[in-house]
Amino acid sequence: MGAQPRKGLRLSDILVTVLVSLVLGVVYHFWGSVYNLLKPLFFEADELLYGMWFAAATLAYLLIRKPGVAIIAEVAAAHVEVLFGSGWGLTLLMYGLIQGLGAELVFAATRYRSSSAFTVALAGAAAAVGSMLLDFFYSYTDDLQTWMFLAKYGMRIFSGAVIAGLLMLVLAKALERTGVTSLLRPASQKDYEALDDSRHV
Amino acid sequence: MNIWNPVRITWLHRANPVVKLFLVCSLFLMTVLTHDIDFVAYQALIFMLCLLALSGVRTWKMLLFFIPFLLAFISSSSSMMLFGKGDTVWWEWGLFKVSKESFYRGLHLGFKGIAFACEGLLLVTTTSSVDLFYSLMQKLKLAPKYAYSFMASIRLLPMVWEEYVIRRQALKVRGVVPIRGVRGAVNRAGMYVVPLLAQSIRRAHRVAAAMEAKRFDGDRGRRRTYFYPSRYSRYDLLTIALLAAAAYGAYAAAGHFPWFGIGDVRFD
Repeated sequence: MGAQPRKGLRLSDILVTVLVSLVLGVVYHFWGSVYNLLKPLFFEADELLYGMWFAAATLAYLLIRKPGVAIIAEVAAAHVEVLFGSGWGLTLLMYGLIQGLGAELVFAATRYRSSSAFTVALAGAAAAVGSMLLDFFYSYTDDLQTWMFLAKYGMRIFSGAVIAGLLMLVLAKALERTGVTSLLRPASQKDYEALDDSRHV
Repeated sequence: MNIWNPVRITWLHRANPVVKLFLVCSLFLMTVLTHDIDFVAYQALIFMLCLLALSGVRTWKMLLFFIPFLLAFISSSSSMMLFGKGDTVWWEWGLFKVSKESFYRGLHLGFKGIAFACEGLLLVTTTSSVDLFYSLMQKLKLAPKYAYSFMASIRLLPMVWEEYVIRRQALKVRGVVPIRGVRGAVNRAGMYVVPLLAQSIRRAHRVAAAMEAKRFDGDRGRRRTYFYPSRYSRYDLLTIALLAAAAYGAYAAAGHFPWFGIGDVRFD
């Protein structure tokens, strides 16, 4: 029998997480202009697109189901803004950290075992709640009128569940079909048995 | 990847990145906890001046970077002005309600955004990612596997861009006609996102295998040496003194020459 897969994050896990998140970070960067398109539609309708900014956390978790991946992914994706020289880079890093933490807590609650649509959608919503908490400090959104407050964050949480949750699940399934994800999973019992199979000689 | 291209080397460039990170985080904390509009307005002004003086970037170039600040000022303040809570109503029309309190709170948010941006840029314009990660490893004992993963990924990112260009050309050669409308946009996104991500995963995995073979992960052996040693110097003290003086200057100016004189902007 082969060696037991080592627990915890290995360099390859982190590198894959970070690179995938940086790619999503570039998407985040350009998502800003899509987001601004919806701005004039009606008040805060842009919040319906907000969920894209939590996508790295859930996608990275769906690829590599290990503790800490969601947080690293969100921080890495936010780091792209620093590379692009945005003034809000560091602020966004803090948002990344707390959004990643929100998603991470949901995954931790399932002990990193579940990847059902419900769990992933919940993680996207939890990331939205994380960003809401930081908004209180950064922009006093708790001082908005109540209907506005509910509309804004209702839409954001919904969007987190749909875009970061369900859409990323579809994307992860599509990636699964390409076969690359098999690189990321530790060799299973079945793989070792296949080696012993005489027909494969 | 340095888009800033400084023309002068200032004290801030010479200070240790970890010290700068701590300084900027404490400035952030100060700004987050500031609820007095005068103090925040002076912070925005003074850190803007600090940025012009200390970033080493050409003044006209830095001024160009201030243009988005203005847009952000408008977008972050308008929402609070129009929809914020407040008692002294100035103007009301349908769902919009501008009150004295919400108006000043909106302005406050605008200034706050500028202050955050300037503080963040003080670090970002003067520190390269590589320097930051090296000193995080040496001074804060960040595990090398994280630091090297970030540094390697930053180098791999341009290749992803190259692949994007190749993919676009390939689709063109194959005569893929883009479908119009929202459906077309979704369809197009799928044609790019899946191959690009799959290829990134493959490449990252290959690079990581090579790095693990070369012991970049640092899982074994506590003691290791670094190509770029990170040290503290007197410039750290100078930088701390300078930015502390700037923060105190903003505080004192707000006390002696207030522009608004209304104090706390929160609603309670």
